[in-house]
Amino acid sequence: MKRSLLPLLITALVLVFFYAPLVVLVVNSFNESRFGGTWEGFTLKWYEKLWAADEVWAALWVTLKVAVTATLAATVLGTLAAWVLRSYATKFQGVHHGLVTLPLVVPDLLMGMALLALFVSLGVETGIVTIWIAHVTFCISYVAMVVLGRLRDFDPTLIDAARDLGASPWQAARKVVLPLLLPGILAGALLAFTLSIDDFVITFFVSGPGTTTLPLRIAGMMKTSRNLPVINALSSLLLCLTCLAVTVSYRLNRPPAKS
Amino acid sequence: MNRLALIAAAFLPLCGFAADTLHVYTWADYVSPDVVEAFEDEHDCKVVIDTFDSNESMYARIKAGAAGYDLIFPTSYMVKVMQAEGILRDLDHAALPNLKNIDPDVLTKVHDAKMTVSVPYTVGYAVIAVRKDRIKDAEASWTMFDRTDLGRRSTLFDDMRETVGAALKSLGYSLNSRDEKQLAEARDVVIRWKKNIAKFDNEGYKAGLDSGEFLLVHGYSGDLFQVTEENDRVEILVPKEGVTIGCDEMVIPKNAPQPALALKFINYLLDAEVAAKNMQWMGYLCPNTEALKRVSADFLENPAVTVPEEIKARCEVIDDLGPDLAKWTKVWDEIKAAP
Repeated sequence: MKRSLLPLLITALVLVFFYAPLVVLVVNSFNESRFGGTWEGFTLKWYEKLWAADEVWAALWVTLKVAVTATLAATVLGTLAAWVLRSYATKFQGVHHGLVTLPLVVPDLLMGMALLALFVSLGVETGIVTIWIAHVTFCISYVAMVVLGRLRDFDPTLIDAARDLGASPWQAARKVVLPLLLPGILAGALLAFTLSIDDFVITFFVSGPGTTTLPLRIAGMMKTSRNLPVINALSSLLLCLTCLAVTVSYRLNRPPAKS
Repeated sequence: MNRLALIAAAFLPLCGFAADTLHVYTWADYVSPDVVEAFEDEHDCKVVIDTFDSNESMYARIKAGAAGYDLIFPTSYMVKVMQAEGILRDLDHAALPNLKNIDPDVLTKVHDAKMTVSVPYTVGYAVIAVRKDRIKDAEASWTMFDRTDLGRRSTLFDDMRETVGAALKSLGYSLNSRDEKQLAEARDVVIRWKKNIAKFDNEGYKAGLDSGEFLLVHGYSGDLFQVTEENDRVEILVPKEGVTIGCDEMVIPKNAPQPALALKFINYLLDAEVAAKNMQWMGYLCPNTEALKRVSADFLENPAVTVPEEIKARCEVIDDLGPDLAKWTKVWDEIKAAP
């Protein structure tokens, strides 16, 4: 019997759909041509220019500072929010639930404008702190949603069992609840990190002097820069770093091979 | 102990330890890093540059109350809007001796001719460019878009003011026309052109022209200059009927923390030597008469730098239309809806 080629075809199409843009980007980072329309020869000049592009590095640094700290804060707060939403039924349960989900549905533009209006009316100068606050605000919701999903499968009687067996509340939380929720928490944290690192619209409004993040910088370069392929070079480097980190973490997590 | 700290704090600025910081809000890669560094050394300060990608987004933030910027580089029409809002500081000409270097011609075109609140920084034209290896008999005229032999491999700006403006110019009218009859004529011209072009495009024309996908494009001189640097088969032509002039200017907002330092930076950028170095790095033309005497012959060869006087006389800056904008939007909608 001849096997159908359809699954193979669909797989190939999906792979092209997902990865073709990345391949084009990496290839163009070595392209002599500034516009990437045609292949003009191999060059490393964009990497050289990237090395000297202080403003791009400064923007990357701001972005990472915000993303790491905002992810930490949002993960803790989001997990707590999910736990409380799940564990305590009050009259206002629905309202609380709605408040936590609201940032998911509010358009970014509205949120950015609203946050800026708030900061201005409070007399807070926009800068890295306001970017951080904004990012924590929208990241909390995503973390809470992911952790809530995980909590649906969580059996609360496990806590009672642990307590019966002599665990203190703290021990029960640390040794029973946390390990069971960890995949959800980590997934939420990763989501928060990705959202924070490439947020444009909200960041645009709440950023201040000296805090241009990488997405803002790239958007600016689209218009006037003569060195746009520098961004291809940077993205290729980030892509390599990400792949490396993922590979390493897989290696570390893999159970030892059985002999 | 406390008093000692206070005294020390009081003297710090005098000793130059606490360097001042100048916050500049501008387009990406719009000031040469060498120029910035030289200014920092000369004035013992730090320059922090933030970038925006459109006048509208910059204005939205400033209008909503974003503060802390000392120097902003909006386009001329946005200067008019910001000035009307009363958020720009009047410039102290005594602190700007290098204003004498500004090309007086440009000042006749911009909104703020007396430089009350703004100083022209760069000038650009919306021109056309062709692949001269593929089009032998190219003409510096808007009638190029009437040619049917290019196989629809051309683009016009996806911008009401630029494209309808070009059509008005091709008819010999002002590109800031508010006359409904003239606008209707221009509409018919653009609808005729639309049949010959590939699409209305604002971003892809550079790459398309470089790769040969497009043979004729409508684009900004600064961008097209970049293409000619890469590709010598591309030629810039300034349509003889006249084109739009875009002028980015330097302004100091009223809430600037360091207005004095901002004035020093403006004056520095207007210095003939500095401006010559700066414009060759960024590829946009600074309307600085003295500086243009000091740039390389290559740079002057750029047809968008040395526009013939009789064409220059027919060029205009895009002006704010106020309530008459609605007439334009209507015409543009009709163009977009046309087959």
